[in-house]
Amino acid sequence: MKAVGARLPRYDGIEHVTGRTTYVDDVRVPGTLWVKALRSPMHSATFSGLDTTKAEAMPGVHAVLTWEDVPLLEYGHLSALGIPADEPLLAKDEVRYKGQPIALVAAEDEDTAAAAVDTIGIEFDEREPLLDVRRAFDADAPTIHPWGNWYPHFENEMDRRQIRKGSIEEAFEKADAIVQGVYRPAAIEHVPLETQVCLAVPEANGRLTIYSCTQALYFSLGVVAAHLQVPLNKLKIVGGTVGGGFGGKVDTATETMCSLLAQKSGRPVKWRWTREEEFLCSSTRAPWHMEIADAVSKDGWILGRKMLTLHDSGAYARFSPYGLTKHSFHHTGAYTIPNLHFDGYVVFTNRVPTTAMRGFGVTSISFATETHVSRIANVLGLDPYEIRLKNANRVGDTSPNRIVYTDPSTVPVVKALAGGMGVELAAEYSAMDRGKREGDLLPAHLVEQLADPEDH
Amino acid sequence: MAVHTGRGIAAIEYPTGMNQNGDPSQAWIKLKPDGRVDVFAGTSDIGNGSKTIQSQIVAETIGVPYDWVTYDNSNTDSSPVCTGTFASRATFVAGKAVEKAAERVRERILEIAGKELEIDPDDLEIVDGEVLAKGAPQKKIAVPDVAAAATWTYGELITGAGAQLKPYASIVDPETGQVDLPPHSAISYAACAAEVEVDDATGVVRVTRLVQVYDVGKAINPTLVEGQIEGGAVQGLGLGVLENCYPYYPSVENRGGEFGSYLAPGFDDLPKLDTIIIENPSADGPYGAKGIGEMANNAQPPAIAAAVFDAVGVWVTELPITPERVLRALDANAEPVRDGKRVVFDSELSVNTVSKGGITFDVPV
Amino acid sequence: MNLIVNGVEREIESAPLTTLLDVLREELDVTSPKAGCEQGGCGACTVLVDGEPQRACLTAVGVVDGAEITTAEGLGTPDDLSPIQQAFTHHYAAQCGFCTAGMMLAAEAYVRRGGTDDREAIQEALAGHVCRCTGYVKIIDAVAAVARGDSFDLTVTAPSQGMTNLGGVS
Repeated sequence: MKAVGARLPRYDGIEHVTGRTTYVDDVRVPGTLWVKALRSPMHSATFSGLDTTKAEAMPGVHAVLTWEDVPLLEYGHLSALGIPADEPLLAKDEVRYKGQPIALVAAEDEDTAAAAVDTIGIEFDEREPLLDVRRAFDADAPTIHPWGNWYPHFENEMDRRQIRKGSIEEAFEKADAIVQGVYRPAAIEHVPLETQVCLAVPEANGRLTIYSCTQALYFSLGVVAAHLQVPLNKLKIVGGTVGGGFGGKVDTATETMCSLLAQKSGRPVKWRWTREEEFLCSSTRAPWHMEIADAVSKDGWILGRKMLTLHDSGAYARFSPYGLTKHSFHHTGAYTIPNLHFDGYVVFTNRVPTTAMRGFGVTSISFATETHVSRIANVLGLDPYEIRLKNANRVGDTSPNRIVYTDPSTVPVVKALAGGMGVELAAEYSAMDRGKREGDLLPAHLVEQLADPEDH
Repeated sequence: MAVHTGRGIAAIEYPTGMNQNGDPSQAWIKLKPDGRVDVFAGTSDIGNGSKTIQSQIVAETIGVPYDWVTYDNSNTDSSPVCTGTFASRATFVAGKAVEKAAERVRERILEIAGKELEIDPDDLEIVDGEVLAKGAPQKKIAVPDVAAAATWTYGELITGAGAQLKPYASIVDPETGQVDLPPHSAISYAACAAEVEVDDATGVVRVTRLVQVYDVGKAINPTLVEGQIEGGAVQGLGLGVLENCYPYYPSVENRGGEFGSYLAPGFDDLPKLDTIIIENPSADGPYGAKGIGEMANNAQPPAIAAAVFDAVGVWVTELPITPERVLRALDANAEPVRDGKRVVFDSELSVNTVSKGGITFDVPV
Repeated sequence: MNLIVNGVEREIESAPLTTLLDVLREELDVTSPKAGCEQGGCGACTVLVDGEPQRACLTAVGVVDGAEITTAEGLGTPDDLSPIQQAFTHHYAAQCGFCTAGMMLAAEAYVRRGGTDDREAIQEALAGHVCRCTGYVKIIDAVAAVARGDSFDLTVTAPSQGMTNLGGVS
C-alpha cells in the first residue's frame, strides 16, 4: 500500500505553521456586531420583570434577544433518539444553573454590548439548589426539574438504565469474596485553545451563512433549523476547521443564538466566548458516582457484578441518557462477567449541564472497573496481569447486552503490555490467546453465556 | 517523610461509532478533467487529522498519489451528511464512506480505461495514477488521460458517492438491556501501565512514566496515531491527578475561571511515554481500522490510582488524585470493612451513608 | 503610533490602551495570534516584540510604539518555510493548530538565543504555552530538531522521538 499506513504529512499542515488556517474568529465580514450575554448569577431561581428596553435603546445596540424571539424555544438535540426536549434556548421564567443564558445583546463593539447587558432589568427569586446526586432521591430534596430529579424517559418510560443477566444472587452466594468500592471521577473542562465562537451572516437571498466551530456540521444544521423552524437549505453552516473540541463543541447553542440575532438586526453577528465563559459556563465532562460489588472466586474469576451509577447531568438532559446507555453497555469493561445487575440513573443537579467529553460514558467505567479489578487482585493476593487475562473477553463470549464478541483484544493488549514492562508471565498465561474458551478457561459459570459468532 | 514509587496497570475497551449506531456519514468524489480528485465530505477536523486520514484512504483506494486529492469539508451546501466528529467515528464510519465513494470512482476509471485500451476492466489496476493491464504493464493509460477522455470524448463526469450507516441497534428488552444488533461499529482495546512517585509529606503524585498499548486495527497514518496517543496520555493524566471543575464537588464554589486556577496539564507534567501499537484488523472498517481518538485518555486514571496504592498503600477513588486526598487517605489509613465474605471499601462515599434513604446500594448476603 | 509588523511599517489608529492582540487581529487583520484566553494564561497570542516573545493580550499597543513585531506569518511563507515551520510540519507538532503560532514564536526565540536540543531546556522555555491536543511530545521533537540543525523532508512525517516505540507498528 502506498498511502494507507504511510506517515504522510498533515493535509492542512502548511496552513497551520504559516498562520493561515482560518478559524471562525479569523473570518472577516464587514459590519459584524459583537454579542454579550446576560447570564444567571444564581444556581436556581425563578425570575420576573425581564426588561430590555434600556438595552434596546442604547446607541450602538442593534438587537436584543430573549426567549420570546425564538420560534421553537425547546428542541431536544437527541430527540431523534427519543430524548425529549427539556432545555429552553434562552431562559423563560426560571434558571437552573449559574451561567444559564437569559438574554443576548448584539452591538457595534464588545464594550457597548456588555454595557447594554448591565442595563437589563430582572428580578430573581432564589430557590434551594440540589447539588449532590446522592441526595436527589431523598424525600426532602428540592425538585429541580419538571420531570423530577432524575430522567424518566428511557424505553417503556423507565426511570433508569437497567442491565440484567444471569443471577447476581447466585453469584454472590457462590463467591468466595464480595469486593465493594465507590468511584467518583470529576467534572473536567474540555479546554480547547479556541473558545466557543460563531459568526452568523444574513444573506441577500434570505439565507443565513453560519460560520461555526461545531464538531458536527450537520448536527448543528439540524439544531438551528429546528429552533428557527426553517428547512435545511435556508441555512449554510461553514466550518470543518476547529481549534480543538474534545466533545465540547457538539451541544453548541451559539449558532442558533447568533442566527436569531443576525435575522433580527439584519447584520452579521459574532459571539466569541471569553475564557471565563468557557471555564465557568460551558458544558463539562460529567461527574459520575459508581458503586460496584463484584462477586469473586478466590482464584480470581469475577462471577458477577452489581453496580449502581448516578450520572450527574447538571441542570438539563442534553446527551446524558445516551451517555448512560453507552456506559451501561460497557460496564464490564474488557472482561466477561456472566451475572450482572446494573442500575443507572441520569440525575439532575443545579450545575452547568454536562455533556460529551472524550470517552463519553466509558471513561468513567474504565476508571471504576480497572481500579476495582486492581483492588480485587490486591485483596485476593493475585497477579494483576493474570486476573485480567483470565476474565478477558474472548471470541464467543457475550457482552452485557448479549452481543457476541467476534474479535476482542483484551488478551493481546495485556500480553503486549506485560512484554513492554518486562514482566514475564507464567507459562499458562503467556500461552493464552483471545480464541474461544475451553478447558480451564471455561469454568461452569461461563458456559451459559457463550454464543456462536456465526449468529452475530 | 519520603518519596515512594509505585506501578499500576489497566486494560480497557472502547466502542467505535455512536452507541447503537444509526449514525450516517456520506461522501462524494469527482475527478477534474486532468484526473485530480475532489472529495466532498462533512467531517469536521477538530485537530484529529480526519482531513488527512480520509484523503489517504481516497488516494489508496483509487490508486493515485496523495497530493492529487483535494478535500473539502467546509460547508453544508457542498458536503453531504456526516453525523459528526465524536464517538471515535471519523476514521471508521466517515472513512468508510469516502472509501466507498472512492471505490466507485475507481470502477468508473477502469470502465473508461477499458474502453480506451480495449481490455476488460477486470484485467486492469490503478497504480500511482496510471491504469495498467495486470501482468502486462506496458499496456497502460494515465488517469489524467482517462479523465480527459471522459470529459471530451464520452461526455461523462467520473464521480462516485458513498454512505456508511450501520443499522440502529434497538434495545429489545429494556429490563435486561438486550439489543438486537451489535451497538457499535467495532471495539478497540488498550492497556496502560503507570509509574508514579508519591511524596508522603506533601501528597503530590508525580506520574513519571506511562507505557501504553493500543490495538487500532490498522494505523492509516502511524504519525497521527502517535499524536492521539501522546495527546490522550496527557489528557488522561489531567483527568487523573490535576483537573477539576468543582474543587469542592458537589459544591459549585471556587470554580477556576482562568488558567492557573484550572490545572490543565502543561509541558512540565509530561511523563516518559512508551508505546506499542498493534493491529488486529476490524472486520469491516476501512483497511481494517478501528477508532482510537477517545480511548486515548481512558486508561491512565485507573493505572495511576493503582500505582498510587502500590506506592503508599492508599486507594484514592475520587478523581483527581490531589495532594489533599492523598494526605487525608494516609491520615485515615482506612482498612476496608470486612463483614463475612464482604470486603467493603469507601463506605463513607456510598449512597448508603450520604443519602437519607432515597437510594441505597444493597448487597444482600 | 506605528508598528513594524513582519517587516512592513503600519500606522496604528487604535487607542494606546488597546491590546496589541486586538490591534493585530482587528485593526491590521493579522490573525495568526489567537485570543485563546486574553488572560495571559495560554500563550496562543504570543508574538515577538523586537525579537522577544511577549503576550499580545497583555500588551498595550502604546507601550510598544515603534517596535518590530513578528508573527507566524512573518517567520516564513508556504514557498519559503523557516526551519521552525518545517520542523513543526515534519514532526507533526500541530494538530488543531490553534496554539501553533504562539508556540512557534516562543520556540524561534529559544533557538535564536542559542537553545540546544536538550528536551528539559525546551520544556522550560515553552512552559508558558498550553497545548491541549498534542501532549507536547512532538512539539519538543520539532524544537530539538531545529536546535540540532536538522534538515526536513516535508513529504513525510517523522516517528515520535520523545515517545519510545517498544514494538508493533513503526
